[in-house]
Amino acid sequence: MRPDLPAIQEIWVYLSGSPLLALILTLAAYQAGVMIYERTKLNPLANPVLIAVALIAFALVALDMPYATYFEGAQFVHFLLGTATVSLAVPIYRGLPSLRGRMLPVLAALLGGGITSIVSAVLLARLLGADEAVVGGMISKSLTAPIAMGVAERIGASPTLTAVFTVTTGILGAALARFVLDAVRCRAWWQRGFAIGVAAHGIGTSRAFSVHPEAGAYAGLAMGLHGVFGAILIPGAISALR
Amino acid sequence: MIDGLVRILIFQGIGEVIAKFAVPLVPGPVSGLVLLLAFLAWRGGVPEGVEQVSAAFMRYLGVLFVPAAVGVVLFWPQLQQQALAIAVALVVSVIATIAASALLAKLLAREGPDAP
Repeated sequence: MRPDLPAIQEIWVYLSGSPLLALILTLAAYQAGVMIYERTKLNPLANPVLIAVALIAFALVALDMPYATYFEGAQFVHFLLGTATVSLAVPIYRGLPSLRGRMLPVLAALLGGGITSIVSAVLLARLLGADEAVVGGMISKSLTAPIAMGVAERIGASPTLTAVFTVTTGILGAALARFVLDAVRCRAWWQRGFAIGVAAHGIGTSRAFSVHPEAGAYAGLAMGLHGVFGAILIPGAISALR
Repeated sequence: MIDGLVRILIFQGIGEVIAKFAVPLVPGPVSGLVLLLAFLAWRGGVPEGVEQVSAAFMRYLGVLFVPAAVGVVLFWPQLQQQALAIAVALVVSVIATIAASALLAKLLAREGPDAP
C-alpha cells in the first residue's frame, strides 16, 4: 500500500463517526424493505418496517456498532416523527364527513375497541409472566406508531418496545382481520374498515384500502381518531390508576 | 411546499410549548395535530403546501419509526425469554380488539337511523 493513502481502518473510523453512515443504513434498509414488500404484492407479513429493522439489527451486529452510535446518526429521521404526527391532521380532516349519521356507532367502536386492546394485552401479558417493561410497551400498541411512542414516553413505558409491539400488532391485525370479521358476521365495508383501523392503525389501513376504498377510508379515520383520543385519554387514565 | 412545512412546524412548536407548560400528559405533537385540525376546520379546506407535506409524510411514515424500533436489539434477551407471553398477548389482543370494535359498530348502527 502506498504510504500517502489512508488505511481502510482510518476511513472506517471516520465514516462511523459521522451521522451519514446511520442515515444511509436506515434509508437503504427501508428501501430494501419496500422492494421486498412490493415483490410479495403487498403481503402484510413482508412489512417494510420489520424488514428494515431486521436488516439494520444484523448490520449493527456485523459492524459491531453500538445502538447509541447508530441512533446518534439516525436521530435526524427520528426527529421527523413529531412533524409527521402533526400532519396526520390532514387525513383526519378529510375523513370527518364520513362521520355524519354514524357518530354513535363509530365512537362506541372506538372506545370499546381501544379499551379492549389495552385491557386484554396487559392482563394476558401479566398473567403469562411478562415483566413490567414488556407490559408497559403493550399499552399504546393499537395507536398509530408515532403517537404510540409519544404516549409511551408520557406514561414511562419504553418507546422502543412500544414501536416493536405496535408494528407487530399492525401486521397481525392486517393478516387476521378478515377471519375475525367474518366470524362475528360483520359485513358492512365501513364497519369492517373501522374495526381494522381501531385495532391495527396504519398497517391495517393500507390493507383495508387494498380490499375496498370505503373500508380504507373508515380505517384511516379510525386510525386518526384512535391516535388523538388515545393520546388524550391514556396518559390521564394511567396516572389516575397509579 | 416550504410554506406548508413552516405551517406544520409552527403547529408542532405550539404543541410542544403546550406540552411543556400547560398539558404535560398529552404529547406535544398531538396537541399540534388537534390545533392544526381546528385550523383546517376553521379555514374550511387544506392549503396546498400543507397537503403536499402531509401526503409525503403519510407515504413514508414507516421509515420514521425505524430508528427507534431498531432499539429492539437492546431488549433482545428479554424478548426471547418472554416470547410466548408476548406472542399470545399480541395475537389474542388484536383479535379481541377487532371483534369488539366490529360488534359495537354493527349493533349500534342497526338501532340508529343508518340501519342497513
